[in-house]
Amino acid sequence: MAPERRGRAVGRRTYLRFAGAATASAMLAGCLEGEDPDDPEDPDDDADADDVETDDVDEADDDVETDDDDTSVTITQGQFASTLDPQDHRETPTDNVILQAYEGLLDREPDGTIREGLATDWEYIDEEEGEVRFEFRDGVTFHNGDELTMEDVAYSILRVVDEDVGIVSPQADQLAGVVDAEPDGDDALVVTSDGVNPMVFNNFASYCQVMQESWTEEMGDEVGQDINGTGPYQLDEFTEDEFARFVVYDDYWGDEVEVEEVVYDSASESSTRVNSLLAGESDVVESVPPQDAPRVEDEDGTTIEAVPSTRVLFMPMRNNVEPFDSVEFRQAMNYAIDLETIIDEILAGFGDATGQPTLEGYTGYNEEIEPYPYDPEMAEELVDESGYSGAEIELHAPAGRYLGDIEIAQAVSGYIDDLPNVSCDLEQREFSSLADEILDGDLDTSPEFFMIGWGNTTFDASQTIIPWFGEGTATQAFVDEEVYGLIEEAQNEPDEETREGTLQETNEYLNEQAPWIFLNRQYSVYGISDRLDWEARQDEHILAREMGLQ
Amino acid sequence: MSLVRFVLRRVLQGLFVIWGVITVVFLLRFVTPGSPVDAVAPLDASPELRARIAQELGLDQPIYVQYFDYLFGLLQGDMGYSYISGTPAAVRVFARLPATIELAVAATLVALVFSIPLGVISATRRHKPADYAATSFSLVGISTPNFWLGIMLILIVSVNLGLLPTSRRPIGLLPALELLVFQLEVSGVRTWLAHMILPALTLGTYFTALIVRLTRSGMLDELGKSYVRATRAKGLPETLVRYKHVLRNTLIPIVTILGLQLGTLIGGAVITEFVFSWPGLGTLVINAITSRDWTIIQGSLIVIGAGFVIVNTAVDVLYATINPQVIYD
Repeated sequence: MAPERRGRAVGRRTYLRFAGAATASAMLAGCLEGEDPDDPEDPDDDADADDVETDDVDEADDDVETDDDDTSVTITQGQFASTLDPQDHRETPTDNVILQAYEGLLDREPDGTIREGLATDWEYIDEEEGEVRFEFRDGVTFHNGDELTMEDVAYSILRVVDEDVGIVSPQADQLAGVVDAEPDGDDALVVTSDGVNPMVFNNFASYCQVMQESWTEEMGDEVGQDINGTGPYQLDEFTEDEFARFVVYDDYWGDEVEVEEVVYDSASESSTRVNSLLAGESDVVESVPPQDAPRVEDEDGTTIEAVPSTRVLFMPMRNNVEPFDSVEFRQAMNYAIDLETIIDEILAGFGDATGQPTLEGYTGYNEEIEPYPYDPEMAEELVDESGYSGAEIELHAPAGRYLGDIEIAQAVSGYIDDLPNVSCDLEQREFSSLADEILDGDLDTSPEFFMIGWGNTTFDASQTIIPWFGEGTATQAFVDEEVYGLIEEAQNEPDEETREGTLQETNEYLNEQAPWIFLNRQYSVYGISDRLDWEARQDEHILAREMGLQ
Repeated sequence: MSLVRFVLRRVLQGLFVIWGVITVVFLLRFVTPGSPVDAVAPLDASPELRARIAQELGLDQPIYVQYFDYLFGLLQGDMGYSYISGTPAAVRVFARLPATIELAVAATLVALVFSIPLGVISATRRHKPADYAATSFSLVGISTPNFWLGIMLILIVSVNLGLLPTSRRPIGLLPALELLVFQLEVSGVRTWLAHMILPALTLGTYFTALIVRLTRSGMLDELGKSYVRATRAKGLPETLVRYKHVLRNTLIPIVTILGLQLGTLIGGAVITEFVFSWPGLGTLVINAITSRDWTIIQGSLIVIGAGFVIVNTAVDVLYATINPQVIYD
């Protein structure tokens, strides 16, 4: 049974009674099936969590009940975790649940800066050969009480990159280049790549949570149904598609956390999430629609927390077809739209205008580049210069995939259509069919002009530039030999400063070439209860360990 | 034709329909743009990674092989594994069934409790304020979209008045009843009821309105028949005429409609479940469609289709049994 949310919540005592009832009914069912409750072979006879909890009921007094409620936090997402296997997904909602309990080698500050995780030190041994060494902290234990070993860490890395070790991990490409991991003593590990790998630390700060080898093997196909991590919270109860409840792990190696219990659940409908917050049933709700933000702000006890996310929205223009093969025409499309007004009116200010593929704060971001200004006269002139005056173009855009997507697309097509020498139609598309055309590896089957969003949690320019401008990638939508050269130069450059300079140069070149209509950096908009003290993270993760209670 | 042969024929027809549902639902995946690999692979997955994922999911097999594998699996109660979570689809689908059935039954009860008295009042007080009020209610009820009504109820009853919870189903009816029976604890049933009221009202409003109209028109039809004049001429009190004779005859088609609506409700509660985050089949289907988890979509639609066929068949048989005018043909 799911724990009811605060507000008109069933108290912990009542909840435990429910658990007791479930135990009673399970016992009754067991008796009806003729099983021997004393059967030593029966695995269900092991220490039973429900029994323990039912005993607690008798000991619990009202004060304890109140304390539990005060330190319990409910977080409601739009989508629930698809699995509890930390290496068998690539979705933020799943990360949010899993990361309460699992930890990686490295971690990130809310602003994206790399910080210690399970590893306390990391360095290149040989940059040319792609060898790096991580040193790990002492006293780390899994939630089942076993100590973390270097074999477990090596296994976790190989489970992502080598399908023969366990699964075909959707994160395999995120650790691209990594080919091996070997323990180096009892508290260090050497990771080997197949050559220069300037992204290795960035990638390990975003991907690859550490699992216990023996437990994972023992769980087999059930590994996505339970958690055995090293993090500050351990899984207490989980119902697939519905909720996960975590409680504090007493033997955690790190600092004590203020929130003692955290419940993750989901509500797909945004108004349901907002109402749940306003009714005091949730403490944090994600993806508050801009039009609902004033309701949350105006309500006593709730507020809006908005932070620039790692996602950028843009409209690629394929440069192997007319009229988008003209740089003047592509630039004209950027001059034609009033991006500031779009952000103010459609997104209620929850967005930042962009003028390059890389987001501010990322390695390779070029501070000197400004977004294209709104200048319809210039746009008209450039269209004439391009020789494509009178062009008819069609914008393909998804609806409901990104914050304000179809409204932004309508505004953009309207601005372009307002130019006297270009007409633009909007084709609203179901996201998966649009994605299918973009991702089939054939540039010629992609729409000529479309809208898409891109999340890059590595905080490095390359992980946006390579997928969209690299040669032969699944998402390539722009063909340019000069960009290929710049990408290759950056990827083979071991010196960080030189590499960053090359990435900045690439961004400058791409701004001039205008391969996209540069749109906005998406914001993560949360509604939060005033009882929480929490700074939202840029990588969209909602971590209870970073929350304080008022 | 005997009743047994009639039942057998309806069961066989039902099985044929279920097979048709399975086939259509299976083929849907192949006529829908996109591949299930898109659900699993990240947007920037390399073609090699996508190919490996397709192979692991068995999607590289010819369609007929996949179809017969699926049919053979279904015969053994195996609906395959979720592409997203890797868990058995049958377990996930059947785990959601109780919530959907509870909601459907509760909505039907709401419809029954409110609609028949309203329909009777409306018919017996024709062209009077009560009749206008009942017909206006039924018009509004039929015209009001579920999602709007649900959101309004949440806003008014839950957020503004704070009387009931906004959403979710923290406890099922069965565990709540177990609490009541084994521990004499009413809080489970109370919690269940508190969470059930708004979704049941939302889902039940349309059917309440529909049955009000049916009851009213049925009653008016019956009241004009000659047997009513005969019973009145015999000197029977008007109350007996209305409730013992007229209403009973009106109820026969209403019972049939109610049965059929129950089948519809099992599959038709999608919007209500979505608005109230009700963990039933409807929410499961919507989430599965969003994430393109085809095994879950297929499993859910098959269970919904089968539920509809079973309820329809049961109603047909019941109707044939209780109504002597039905010929088994």
